[in-house]
Amino acid sequence: MSLDDARIRIGVDIGGTFTDLSISSESGIIAVGKALTTPDEPARAVEEVINEALGRVEVRPDQVGEIIHATTLVTNAILERKGETTALLMTEGFRDTLGLATEKRYDLYDLNLQLPVPLVPRWLCFDIPERTHSDGSIAKEVDLDHVRRLALELQEAGVHAVAICFLHSFTNPENELAARRAIQDVAPSLRVALSSDVSPEVREYERASTTAASVYVQDVVGRYLDDLEQRLTRIGYDRGLLLMLSHGGVATVDTARHHPVKLLESGPAAGALAAAAFGASAEEPDLVSFDMGGTTAKLCLVEDGSPLKAQSFEVDRQDRMHPGSGLPLKLSTIDMVEIGVGGGSIARVDSLGLLKAGPQSAGAHPGPACYGRGGELPTVTDADLVLGYLDPEYFLGGSMALDPGAAKAAIETHIAEPLGLSLEKAALGIHQVVNESMANAARVHAVERGKDPTKLPLFAFGGAGAVHASGVARRLGSSKVVVPPYAGVMSTAGLLSAPLAFDFVRSRRAFPPDLSPGAVSEIFAPMETEGEELLGSAGVAASDVNHERSIDARLIGQGHEINVKLDDLTNWPQSARESFDAAYTHLFGRSGPPVEIEVLRWRVISSGPRPGLTLRPERRTGGQVAAGAVRTAALGPDSQMTESSIYDRYLLAPGDTVNGPAVVQERESTTLVPHGTSCVVCDDLSLVIDLNGAGR
Amino acid sequence: MSASPLDAVALQMIWSRLISIANEQQAALIHTGFSTVLRESEDLACGVFDPRGLMVAQSVAGTPGHINSMATGVRHLLEAFEEEGLEKGDVLITNDPWLTAGQVNDLTVATPVFVGQRIVGMFASTCHSPDIGGRRLSAEARDVYEEGLRIPIMKLARAGVLNEPLLAIIRENVRTPEETVGDIFAQMTSNEVGAKGLIDLLAEFDLDTLIPIADEVMARSEAAMRDAISRLPDGTYTDTSPVESADGMPVKLRVELTVDGDELKVDYAGTSEQVSEGINVVLNYTRAYTSFGIKALLAPEVPHNEGSFRPVTVVAPEGSILNCVPPASVAGRSLIGHLLPGMVMRALFSAVPDKVLAGGAEALWITIWGGSRDSGEGFSQTLFNSGGTGARKENDGLTATCFPSGVASVPTEVIEMITPLKVLRRSLREGSAGAGRTRGGHGQVIEISNRSGMPWTLSPMIGRTTYPAAGLEGGKDGLAGACVLEGGGPLVPKRQHVLEGDAVVRMSLPGGAGRGDPKERNPEAVLADVIDGYVSLEDAREVYLVAIEYGGDENALVRPPGTYSIDSAETRALRGQADCDQGVTVS
Repeated sequence: MSLDDARIRIGVDIGGTFTDLSISSESGIIAVGKALTTPDEPARAVEEVINEALGRVEVRPDQVGEIIHATTLVTNAILERKGETTALLMTEGFRDTLGLATEKRYDLYDLNLQLPVPLVPRWLCFDIPERTHSDGSIAKEVDLDHVRRLALELQEAGVHAVAICFLHSFTNPENELAARRAIQDVAPSLRVALSSDVSPEVREYERASTTAASVYVQDVVGRYLDDLEQRLTRIGYDRGLLLMLSHGGVATVDTARHHPVKLLESGPAAGALAAAAFGASAEEPDLVSFDMGGTTAKLCLVEDGSPLKAQSFEVDRQDRMHPGSGLPLKLSTIDMVEIGVGGGSIARVDSLGLLKAGPQSAGAHPGPACYGRGGELPTVTDADLVLGYLDPEYFLGGSMALDPGAAKAAIETHIAEPLGLSLEKAALGIHQVVNESMANAARVHAVERGKDPTKLPLFAFGGAGAVHASGVARRLGSSKVVVPPYAGVMSTAGLLSAPLAFDFVRSRRAFPPDLSPGAVSEIFAPMETEGEELLGSAGVAASDVNHERSIDARLIGQGHEINVKLDDLTNWPQSARESFDAAYTHLFGRSGPPVEIEVLRWRVISSGPRPGLTLRPERRTGGQVAAGAVRTAALGPDSQMTESSIYDRYLLAPGDTVNGPAVVQERESTTLVPHGTSCVVCDDLSLVIDLNGAGR
Repeated sequence: MSASPLDAVALQMIWSRLISIANEQQAALIHTGFSTVLRESEDLACGVFDPRGLMVAQSVAGTPGHINSMATGVRHLLEAFEEEGLEKGDVLITNDPWLTAGQVNDLTVATPVFVGQRIVGMFASTCHSPDIGGRRLSAEARDVYEEGLRIPIMKLARAGVLNEPLLAIIRENVRTPEETVGDIFAQMTSNEVGAKGLIDLLAEFDLDTLIPIADEVMARSEAAMRDAISRLPDGTYTDTSPVESADGMPVKLRVELTVDGDELKVDYAGTSEQVSEGINVVLNYTRAYTSFGIKALLAPEVPHNEGSFRPVTVVAPEGSILNCVPPASVAGRSLIGHLLPGMVMRALFSAVPDKVLAGGAEALWITIWGGSRDSGEGFSQTLFNSGGTGARKENDGLTATCFPSGVASVPTEVIEMITPLKVLRRSLREGSAGAGRTRGGHGQVIEISNRSGMPWTLSPMIGRTTYPAAGLEGGKDGLAGACVLEGGGPLVPKRQHVLEGDAVVRMSLPGGAGRGDPKERNPEAVLADVIDGYVSLEDAREVYLVAIEYGGDENALVRPPGTYSIDSAETRALRGQADCDQGVTVS
């Protein structure tokens, strides 16, 4: 292989259990790798997995052009409270903003409800004499002597991280800047995060929470990135590291150090990008990404080749299924909905005599009954085994034998008997209830965003994704399921498909008619210049930079904004109004009352070119289907148990067709092809199931 | 269970879809709402109803007052049009306190869903309007006519055409026409979002109507509720609570619960008669909060619908403050209604001791601020705030958290952007939580001034200013609330006050009460509260009998945990030998 011309790129993702890797050249993905995550020293696993995989394909580290990285480090630091002891400085009278939160209970009926614990304890929350009015005028300058004294005492107490969140600083950051200068004058070693920098948006609780989280994880992230960079330099790679951010863009190490909280959802974002990339290669730019694992499932809408984005996120939920039970973070993130149902979720009959699955999970220990590790309660995996969807001899590639007897006993005792159902009907019930809740979540998620999920193909991955994909797709009314190859390292493929990107936001409240097109350009220009500079320093030519402008606007008097893309300014302000009305009608089905609109925030995403990643792996030599293998599975008409053909996915070659009822098995996953459907193997080895397709 | 076996799966699927449709409806409502009451505080409820007007599913947010009032109130809207009939595109509206949520500010908008000529279901929401004319929300009205515009059950739209005369009347009668009418539009819009989902669902599951689903859900809910009630020992349980009244005369609330097998009768006989001020509660609202308390205590997972309350009968003497008759004034009904779940729980303490909370702030503090902007244009802003909740058996109460209602506060920055109000302070109220083995939640202190410099008004609809939250099992009471003029006297609750331009109002919200003897509290938990400034060193010693020393600088701004220590020997001495093994585990 001539490597001088081939652009070698590496995507590496640290997950909770495994650190995954993909290597691509211009001919496609040439190697994948997997190592156990090393929580005490996460960079070690990265170094190991890179060395091992590069050795396998005989590429030297100095021949690698780019390494793109995602990590769960930030999430873990917050969940495990392993960040740095952090102080919060608020406007006088508002030190308790984090403790007061929203005053709302996220669950009306739970008398034993627990609220999320803020990242800053109360003894480190301080009132600072200062005040800015809502119009941005300074009512009271910062008491700098007080701030200096506090900074020295914090330093003395060994507190090195400081978040500053003053009221209305998103309109005028002057007092926050003055407070930071005062701190740096006397205690330059303190790390200071300003809310006007981290999250310049209205609502003091959410802004303070975001700012505190950002500085809370900064040291952990910084030390980790130092370690990783040193290791990479040592093995001979010195081209700089790129990191995936929550919104699916890629940024340099410096950006990650400065805004570490933006790394929060980098792994899941990479998964959604992979769905978008494989979707594009299957000529499906619009799809629903469906990632179902052991305890939860994640759904995301991909539109025109890009996953949808949201501007807020919650971390450390007390109750996974209850919005409002976590710490709020205002940051740009891939818009995903999480459902508390996965393969390990426990099925039960509730007090109303109805069948429920999740959110309680058997986890890995004791795990589903069929794991034979002492679990006695029936799980989704047990049901899938009883239905013949899973192969007891080939779970995780045969490395773990499943016990169908235990699965049957658990379902019989806890579901079939209480409900008076046959074993198969009970198992099928579990499978279908799970599919329905996935489809419901997808539908609510889509409707909240003004999208129609019913026509979209479902892109399934994760250990249980392909087992449930056909059922979920049918419930959603979609006609196609795509199951990509490399289910085990999907997110790393997403890393390789992301463009370099930086996002910016400015808060400025304005009525469109008050601004000329030139004035609007002046709002966007500094952000675009900054984007070009950052991209330029990462090697992107100015001519390759693309700026995506958008505004957060609302009808005057409303409290929630709609993000509206602003493609060109020739017709401003009519164009803004028209785009807003179209988006509003699309979202809510009717136009709003006759009221003017106002703009609150102006956003720019500056990005480099999208890498031309080919997701075409090496050709298989085989093409031979395992002959004659059959098993009874609930894949017949109306999900009746019927003889179904068994295929080994590793033997399937592009162009092969599998007719249902059939099961396609691989190490980490299983794909169902029900009666009346057919499945085609694509050039990139994705399986595409046509649910309306003519079966045998 | 009477259902056929297959129904357990199919019913679960259809029902979970209905809940998700109600959530879609709610999302659309919040996103298109105009008032902060709706979009920030989420003082609302959304639900799906069958063609008889019985609630089948409800959205996740909302307050018990709204959800439960809708559950029993929406059928009245259909009944009103039984003869005239309804057609596609019709939208119904009312704010009749007696038929729906108990005050004229609460507007219910309902949209029947048609397939062909047939009604297959209905969507409705109830939202608290920021203003409905009349007096600004206060208890001073002597009858309901003074409280604002009353909208009998009528059509807001007929066959898709808006009832413009009605909208014009509403606009002309309220202080906040854009917000009040904007919220009504949001209610209509969100009902339509729900309707679309329902039509798809019926087609997918091949159903003609929601009635069989509703019947099955209600039958199962009823059975589950009967099961929960039958676990209580038969007998009679009572509680009596005094309540402050603005006229200075205490009002007495009395409840008697009788458990007989799988049925529960709640009788408020012995409760005071209705009063001339506007804190009277209609029976529908009394039922709503009573049933909330029963459900949260006995069967939180059972859905709320007519079925789940067939085994529960709630009665109150006609003409009493809990079953007032027209034309009683009712604007402040939440000040009484919010106390009912706590009373029901305390009455049942001997039957379910582990689940009952100590007393809390309970009644939501609703304050209505009015005045004019620099431009001369008027403003009216409603704020919701909460004190602390009562201690739980194994967990402290929640700090400044809404219970039993379920609304959010409005962020200070939002208040200041849309009104001339300036919030000077919003902090926890140290020392307000009642001590105990588990302590109550903290109240909060809020100070508000007015930047416009012109005279302004405040109507504080607030409670627990006389009778504090009561401790349980030896736990201490929380601190009562207070609303005062800085440098002046207290502002009498439930009255509208005209304030000088430079006035500053300080509201101190009540703390929750403790549960169990404070000297049984783990000293480490007391130490943590001292470090965080919730409990003073003196109170640690005198109330909790824990000796804690502070070894740092007396003037220090930063006082890390390491500067405090527990004097174990002295703590043992303070608590006495006998209590040694009950929590003093520190080294």
